[in-house]
Amino acid sequence: MARMNTETQVQMPSPKKKSSLSEKTKESLSGYLYISPFFILFAIFGLFPILFSFYLGFQKWNGLGEMEFVGFQNFKWILTDPLFWKSLTNTLYMWVIGTIPQLIIGIILAYALNSALIKAKSFFRVSIFMPYVTSTVAVAIVFGIMFNSQDFGLFNVILGWFGVDAVSWGTSEWGVKIAISTMVFWRWVGYNTIIYLAGLQGIPKELYEAAIIDGATIRQKIQYITIPLLRPIIILTVFTSTIGALQLFTEPLIFIGRTYREEGITVVLYLYREAFANLAFGPASAAAIILFIIIIVISSINVLVANRISR
Amino acid sequence: MKKWFLLVVLLGLMLFVVACSDDSSSSDSDGNAGNNSDGETNTDNGGSGDSDSGGDPVELDFWVFGNAGYDVLAEEYKKDNPNVTININEGEMADQHNNLFTSISGGSGAPDIAMVEVSEIAKFMEASDQFYNLNDYGAADVGGNFLEWKWQQAQSVDGSFQIGLPTDIGPTTMFYRTDVMEEAGLPTDRDELAAELDTWDAYYEAAKTIKDATDKPIADAPKLVFNALRDQEEQQYFDEEGNLIIDNVKEAYDYTTKMIGEGLIGQNSLWTPEWGSAMADGSYATMPGAPGWMVGNVKGNAPDASGLWDIASIPEGAGNWGGSFLTVPAESEHPQEAYDFIAWLTAPEQQLKAFHEKGLFPSAPDVYENEEFLATTDEYFNGAPTAAIFAEAAKSVTPVYMGVNYSIVDTELDTAITNVAVEGADPQDEWDAAVERIETQLERQ
Repeated sequence: MARMNTETQVQMPSPKKKSSLSEKTKESLSGYLYISPFFILFAIFGLFPILFSFYLGFQKWNGLGEMEFVGFQNFKWILTDPLFWKSLTNTLYMWVIGTIPQLIIGIILAYALNSALIKAKSFFRVSIFMPYVTSTVAVAIVFGIMFNSQDFGLFNVILGWFGVDAVSWGTSEWGVKIAISTMVFWRWVGYNTIIYLAGLQGIPKELYEAAIIDGATIRQKIQYITIPLLRPIIILTVFTSTIGALQLFTEPLIFIGRTYREEGITVVLYLYREAFANLAFGPASAAAIILFIIIIVISSINVLVANRISR
Repeated sequence: MKKWFLLVVLLGLMLFVVACSDDSSSSDSDGNAGNNSDGETNTDNGGSGDSDSGGDPVELDFWVFGNAGYDVLAEEYKKDNPNVTININEGEMADQHNNLFTSISGGSGAPDIAMVEVSEIAKFMEASDQFYNLNDYGAADVGGNFLEWKWQQAQSVDGSFQIGLPTDIGPTTMFYRTDVMEEAGLPTDRDELAAELDTWDAYYEAAKTIKDATDKPIADAPKLVFNALRDQEEQQYFDEEGNLIIDNVKEAYDYTTKMIGEGLIGQNSLWTPEWGSAMADGSYATMPGAPGWMVGNVKGNAPDASGLWDIASIPEGAGNWGGSFLTVPAESEHPQEAYDFIAWLTAPEQQLKAFHEKGLFPSAPDVYENEEFLATTDEYFNGAPTAAIFAEAAKSVTPVYMGVNYSIVDTELDTAITNVAVEGADPQDEWDAAVERIETQLERQ
């Protein structure tokens, strides 16, 4: 800044041309300054770790000692580890159980919130969004208590009313997955509802009015007006929730704890265990890279399908 | 929506970063200012500040886990050393070790004093350049105060590097519920019971008696039974060369799974809420392999069960479970003050206080001869002479080499035992699967 000031002082004789140029640089400089905090923070907390894990994927390192280059050994270990594949299928199962109902119910809830029948709209809007602002750890702890495997656990008591035997939520193959998916569902359904609601409010009223005049039923209105016009929003939520589901971590960590039981281990939890429980940072980074590639593949499929649908 | 959210997150992050950097820079400048005034600027009276280190206010961050009760002792220390402030940060054991590891690996954020458990000390010993050698601060002089094997666990092989000062040890005993024993028609007196349950075979027979009479299991957490037997072995998961010798604990595993198969032990996992509430309910008869530090856990989980619990010696002799060390990470700017504090905290008198307060059993054998110590009884445990019982147990404890990868093995065996107990899985299949998982993970070390 100081240098620019002296420059303008020195160039006094022809101020018009010069100052307009430095105005421009000034403007863009201040623009970059304004956006720099994000990029600086991103470089430190986002970009550097990403690049570093690519480097680590080819090293053997316990976090403290010297690193040792091992080539593709880490990838070989990960790809031949049945537990890694188990963690991947777990993640996909929980994505299906947790995400798809979430999107469907999100649309229904958004439709209900948008309808003229409901009073105290802002109250419901806020309360449906509340789970999203709740700390994931708190959610997982509370749900962990409700999904207690003993007979007195809340969900087991409820199942008992219907004559169903107590489920060992913490250790059985599907019990763990359903419990974790329920947490994900509860936490994210409100977020998606609000996004859908915004989408719904963007649909012009005239279309509905015209449809009513033509004698359309509610079902027809949803099928021919709401869903098609909501399509970009639906695609967006499918995207974000897919990527989110592939990175599922906190809920299973809190719920199954540090036993890393194979019924509930997700890919991210798997690599967390490698890194921070076993201090094998090389294989952990290799797993992260593989997950990165998987996310790229799934996202590309998403884009392809989305393009085809919206055409 | 998203933008707003991002903005808020960013703002929060920035505040966080600012707060962090502010903190470290201010403490940095404190330290530098002190050094400068000694070394550079005030050359005429240089060095005067060094000699009386008692004057300058010093803050020590101290990371603790478990129910150690060190906050009370830290207050006491402050009375005699008003310039030293101890900031105690209590957390879960695994979290504290993780945090310590991360901060050491990252080179910033480590406390002045960190508590490290015996199963983790070997791991941190490998990074001994990240810690102060306590021998440089006078540790060699106090080494004789502690049990020799305990002292050596925190020492390099040649004995030149001392990473930590010992706090407590965990000689194992057997806690039991007098009400359940009475119901089952077994002796309720601790000596008679110990005489009756002198072997694990006798323990097994008693389990059947209790099951028949009361329909309660003899113990609720299968892992605890396994641990009790495991801790009696002289070698456990690894030998001193670091080879996996897991077959050593197969007998303990078989005994545990046989009991599970016959419905003689419950299903609870350690440290779960169910496990805690069962202590209050009296839904089982014994807690085998319970060390001194378990006293605080039982009292905390079952505050109303006073007089219902009692302590007897464990079948076939005590082992050791747990116990910790206090270390000074190399990042600390006040190693001398930190050392002075932990030397005080681990001195026999303070260990005695920690024992009275929370049951942490002293690692300083001087205390064992102390009349006042031996006379300690605990009303909660039916007036049992706790100190004498634990001291008796401590005599038969032999040092065990745990190795760097102890927790990998222990976690997988825990999973195997839980699968047998809760899912009714086949014990041998689970054992084989656990060994396979262990070998996969060890390969990557």
